Amino acid sequence: MKDSLITVVRSLIFVIFALILCALVFQLAGYNAPVLLWAVLDGAFLRSGAIEQSLRWALPLFITAVGVGISFRAGFFNIGAQGQFYVGAICAAFAAEAVKGGPAFLVIPTLLLAGMLGGALWALWPGLLRLRSGTDEVITTLMGNFMAGLLLVYVTSGPLKDPSGSGQQASSRPLDPAYRISDSLGLSPTIIVIAVVVGILMWLLVNRTAFGVLASLAGRNGTMVEWQGARLWKLGLSSFLVSGALAGLAGTIEFMGPNGRIASGFLPAHGFTAILIALVANLSVLGTAVAAVFFGGLASAALYLPIMAGLPSAAIDIINAAIALFITARSTFIDRVLRLGGRKT
Amino acid sequence: MSNSSKSALECRNVTVKFGDVTALSEVSASFAPGQIHAVVGQNGAGKTTFARVAAGLVQPTSGAVNVMGQDIRTGQVSESRAAGVELVHQSFAMPPSFTVAETMEFGATGKGGVFSRRGLIEKWRAHLAGLDVQVDLNRRIRDLPIETQQGIEIARALVTDARVLILDEPTAVLSPAGIDMLFARVRRLKERGVTVILILHKIREVLGIADTVTVLRGGRKVEGPLPVAEVSGERLANLIVGEAVAKTLDRQDRDALVGTKAPAHEDADQQAHASGPAILSMKAISTKPDSGGIALDGVDLEIRPGEIVGIAGVEGNGQKTLVRAISALADLEGGTIDLSGHDVTRQPLAMRRKIGLRIIPFERNVEGLSLTSSLWQNWSARELLQGSLLKGIRPAAIREACDRSLKAWSVHYNNSGQRAGSLSGGNAQKVILAREIDPDAKLIIAAQPTRGLDIGATAFVWQALRQARDRGAAILLISSDLDELFDISDRVVVMLSGRLNGEFHAPFDIGLVGAAMTGAAAGASA
Repeated sequence: MKDSLITVVRSLIFVIFALILCALVFQLAGYNAPVLLWAVLDGAFLRSGAIEQSLRWALPLFITAVGVGISFRAGFFNIGAQGQFYVGAICAAFAAEAVKGGPAFLVIPTLLLAGMLGGALWALWPGLLRLRSGTDEVITTLMGNFMAGLLLVYVTSGPLKDPSGSGQQASSRPLDPAYRISDSLGLSPTIIVIAVVVGILMWLLVNRTAFGVLASLAGRNGTMVEWQGARLWKLGLSSFLVSGALAGLAGTIEFMGPNGRIASGFLPAHGFTAILIALVANLSVLGTAVAAVFFGGLASAALYLPIMAGLPSAAIDIINAAIALFITARSTFIDRVLRLGGRKT
Repeated sequence: MSNSSKSALECRNVTVKFGDVTALSEVSASFAPGQIHAVVGQNGAGKTTFARVAAGLVQPTSGAVNVMGQDIRTGQVSESRAAGVELVHQSFAMPPSFTVAETMEFGATGKGGVFSRRGLIEKWRAHLAGLDVQVDLNRRIRDLPIETQQGIEIARALVTDARVLILDEPTAVLSPAGIDMLFARVRRLKERGVTVILILHKIREVLGIADTVTVLRGGRKVEGPLPVAEVSGERLANLIVGEAVAKTLDRQDRDALVGTKAPAHEDADQQAHASGPAILSMKAISTKPDSGGIALDGVDLEIRPGEIVGIAGVEGNGQKTLVRAISALADLEGGTIDLSGHDVTRQPLAMRRKIGLRIIPFERNVEGLSLTSSLWQNWSARELLQGSLLKGIRPAAIREACDRSLKAWSVHYNNSGQRAGSLSGGNAQKVILAREIDPDAKLIIAAQPTRGLDIGATAFVWQALRQARDRGAAILLISSDLDELFDISDRVVVMLSGRLNGEFHAPFDIGLVGAAMTGAAAGASA
């Protein structure tokens, strides 16, 4: 508990560094930096309805990011959240076609499950390749993202194509409103409950099971765990599958909730933002919740800035990038400067 | 201070700090030219740091280094080299794929340029022959025996006409016969006028080769350089260990720890320990070459309860593969392994551990501990793996149990949440002991369990192994230190080229064991 608090505080320092850097860039680009940053804050949390809007983005991001954290903890750099998110949504969309007309209390869980299976499937093959033949999972999961993106283009313009679509962007037939779990604003009790349940379960998995301890040991030193008799592939593959399933779940929530359909190229940055969130949180589940709300706020501000304040939404991209920069630098240069403790006894 | 103009090498008030750790504190010593000097001390006494300061590899926090009456700039390898000081490291630093001639050329000068194979050989043949290194200059370093590799390292250091040659723990990797060869070589260097400084940790070796001895302890100079003729082994032992610790040690252990004399095991009731059917029974075990080293070739080994079996051998003769084979981490080609009466030949390590296998692995910081994980996680890994992965745990309860266990093993630490990497080597090893030596342990593999530990920690580890033995556990001890093996083993088996080459019982004869280690008298005294 204390540890994860320190982590969050430390990450906050980096976020502040990042914001200072952004302010500098904004100022140099001719904007009034304080005004711009204030508008970001306003769009994210202050104006009426901002918090709801921020949570709408934060909850799916949180679910994906927790999963990313699970695989990172086990030492597997699964950067395929985006692809797993898409495949999850695709599977749920197919399942929706298959069980059309059933009672909602059966169909909704079925779709959620189908989405999780789809996401897990998209994590399974890179996991197997890595654990059976040592193929670098960074490469395979990254490639998987592109494949999933193309698959999405195919299904939305092929098997699931909505014939009445505008033609601007290929998309699937809309989900029967009876099975939607939120309106298009995207925040509903169902989604909140799902996110909370995922959060609690994953917190328990990480902090209160043998798996959590062993996966974390394996992530830091696989050799040591092997000498203890653990089967690394079991720890590794299950971490992969959990992270894929959660990304798939997030994709399904977007499909069954705010979007109500899948469209080619929808939410293209979701998986990468989730990775950033997991890293900012230093992989802690509680930290991920906090970081997800922060990044959800930025996502919400990105929509608000151009319309309401006449400011460029690219400001949010710059903020995201600056945070990514500082978080990546954390493990090397900056952390060394800020290091606390670590004395020999 | 003695007259510095007469010293080959003199250090004045040298202090070295690494962060909070003081490796050397106000060390002053002056070494007369043309003699063989020994610098001794236990692990962590600062011997290697001292050598590295003299060679310019470590910048001292304060103090001066003087070579042949000239102060040199400290912390500069080129300065030390120019002044004629060369260091041969404990672990050799030659590219394994280079031929001898290439190693000599590029290791010595570090210059590039056009060369022909024949030209290089011509160039270096005389130099190597002059130093009594008999070797085909076309052979690759990795194919050479360790004694020859060491000879080449020394020859390489002497290319620049070094006047002071420092050898850091040169005996650690050698068999007894190899040590004799090394000492003969060192004596010839002395005849040529080279001042040799040997970093050693066995008194027996000091008395056998050196003209003077300097003792370091805890980063400080305790005594020296003293003429070896004027100092007894007994006195030297107490200087190295320190009076306070010496009192707490069993005499035989102390002698083994500092290598006072030719080791001999004089435990009268040593045969009384072993009883009952074998706990480990390996029959005709052969393996494929393993990531850990060469293949095993038909190894038969039995260990019974209440017995410590020592594996002697020059490093790299299959000891690692043996441990990996028993731990189900090597690929077997044939043979069977029984553990406590169960055939575990095809069983994974998890199953073997359930039966009672425990491993203190070779690489403490890689195979034994996850340095960036907390102590309690490291400590609990073995038990957590016994149950289902999804079994619920209470970290608070585990941490309490961990605290109790670590206290019982007298580990010095702050709290069980601290990283394992923040502990000293001895404390880290105790954490591994706390995890691996439990009442259910039936076969304990202890692979180099005291490497790098100071005397107090080493004695502690020995005590722990003996207690486990007395409780009825079977113990397999792998060590490259014959003193250690002879002191605590009930039986010693020698490994050579992936086979067992002779078995010895107390009292151990260092000559016979040494011969078996090099294959000079295969199978002698079985």
